[in-house]
Amino acid sequence: MQNVVERVLNLLIYLLESPVPVTSSDVRNTVHGYADQSDEAFHRMFERDKQVLRRLGVPLKLEAMDAWEIDEGYTVDPEEYAIPDPQLNDEERLALSVAGRLVRLGGTEAGVGAIIKLGGMERGDGIEPLGADLGEGAETLGELFGAITDRRRVEFTYRDHVRPVEPYGMAHRRGHWYLVGNTPDGERVYRVDRIEKLQVGEETDAFDKPKDFDIRSVVDSQPWEAGSEPEVETTVRFDSEVAWWAARSLGLAEPDGKLTASVSVANRDAFVGWVLSFGDSAEVVEPAELREAVATRVRESLEQLGER
Amino acid sequence: MTSSRTVSRLSRILALIPYVLDREVVDVNEIMDRFGYTEEQLTKDLNTIFVCGLPGYGPGDLMEAYIDEDDVIIDAAEFFSKAPRLTPSEALGLLAAGMTVLGSGEGSPALESAVEKLSKVVMPDADTSLTVDVLDETQNVGVLRDAAADGRVVRVVYRSVGKEETTKRDVEPWSVFTTLGRWYLLGHCRLVDGQRTFRVDRIKELGVLDETFEPPERVPEPGVGYAPSKDDITAVIDLKPAARWVLEYYPVDVVRESSRTTRIRFHSPDAEVPARLLLRLGADARLVEGPEVAERLSTIGSSLLARYE
Repeated sequence: MQNVVERVLNLLIYLLESPVPVTSSDVRNTVHGYADQSDEAFHRMFERDKQVLRRLGVPLKLEAMDAWEIDEGYTVDPEEYAIPDPQLNDEERLALSVAGRLVRLGGTEAGVGAIIKLGGMERGDGIEPLGADLGEGAETLGELFGAITDRRRVEFTYRDHVRPVEPYGMAHRRGHWYLVGNTPDGERVYRVDRIEKLQVGEETDAFDKPKDFDIRSVVDSQPWEAGSEPEVETTVRFDSEVAWWAARSLGLAEPDGKLTASVSVANRDAFVGWVLSFGDSAEVVEPAELREAVATRVRESLEQLGER
Repeated sequence: MTSSRTVSRLSRILALIPYVLDREVVDVNEIMDRFGYTEEQLTKDLNTIFVCGLPGYGPGDLMEAYIDEDDVIIDAAEFFSKAPRLTPSEALGLLAAGMTVLGSGEGSPALESAVEKLSKVVMPDADTSLTVDVLDETQNVGVLRDAAADGRVVRVVYRSVGKEETTKRDVEPWSVFTTLGRWYLLGHCRLVDGQRTFRVDRIKELGVLDETFEPPERVPEPGVGYAPSKDDITAVIDLKPAARWVLEYYPVDVVRESSRTTRIRFHSPDAEVPARLLLRLGADARLVEGPEVAERLSTIGSSLLARYE
């Protein structure tokens, strides 16, 4: 490891200081640690070291060396390399580092490496561990986050279909991460753990995000609100044993006994399913159309039973 | 293969150099404290810095780095006057961590301004592009945590997850934890006389009793999951493609799968949960086996139809 650390430091200094892109043979002939290697060994080392640089957050780029684009060379722009300084004071840094240790992202402590780059952390003692885990693979999340902040298009496989997406934002809800973005079919929500074969586009600022986009209004809607059908106002009556639970789901104050609530519905199918999840302890009062829809669903279930 | 240790070590070196350059000399203890170094690790890293530099690698090309009495000194390293930028994973991790703690109501004003400053540089529109829930049950969580710390028994009115019923129970609270976006209470439930995990959002009423208890010597690792018991009833259900979402929301076993039908085995402490599920699925599901569930389904179904007809 000692050799690798020294070699990567020397490589990075060379790249930061070189005014023009450098080829891999420049690296081999110039940077300490690469000489006296066979072609194959050099190639392996160099690939690995580039990987280390990228994981450190170094913006390593491959650029054409001349107008004819015959040769390509590596470059690191010092301005792009430098961390944008958020100007944290020590108290803020401490608060962030504590948060970073409490919250895990895909099993790893979320912010410890990051806080060191921001000027280190003061180690506070006597902090109670909350142990929150935001689940899921940090790598995919990181790539998506980068795509969102750079406005890069992404493409991935989701339920066996390839989806091109302009990523707008990310949300963590009830244990899962969601990606919200624009697709040829309009705005869509994807569960991040189902995203496969993620590809991130090269181009930055590749699309415009609507100014009034707000991730919370997308992910915080109830299933029966998330639909494109004409909205209908419904009234639902909940028996007292389930009323408090229904009130919590609807964001209403908890009732003492029964609850009669108004619910706006834009997805009738989801609404019927939700009402029936209360068994015979909830009843749609109006409109007649949705009373009928619930009754129909119940009859269908009973018919399935008859066919056994 | 890239070793994570190599990356962490380099990351710390690349953060250490600009920190010292910026201040010219820094006390050794401050560096060790701030960057989490032992003295041995710090000496090793300074010695590494000392042998690296510009091509040529002669005396004038290498960086200077050493400890002089109690000060760390680094020089001739202008190219490292700033730390490398955060990787997207690091930026997201830190931002999401900050937002999570703020959302829990446990954040301080310092954290609030830190998150604001950080998002300015890593994601200027974070307030409309990134949102993290987790912890919105602060009141009960606080009460439970105090009760666990004081060894006091709590009395809860609880709506079970697997069994759609509300019960009153006395629980000896051991620990409160959060995972998968929810708060959980782990403890000994006196109603069932065994270890149980409760979802805090399903606690309808919570009271702390005067009675105390002896916590176990070692509190088990918190964990969430449905462990079937021998008293469970089992139902076999065929799902049409439109009902496949069930696989993601209920702990079921897939018996077999084809493009048209997925056959699942559903374990549950009572017939109510599968019966209600079948009700909401309508023509998209069919009960294949499970007499208790069939009976329950036809009871609720008839009772519902009586309300609607």
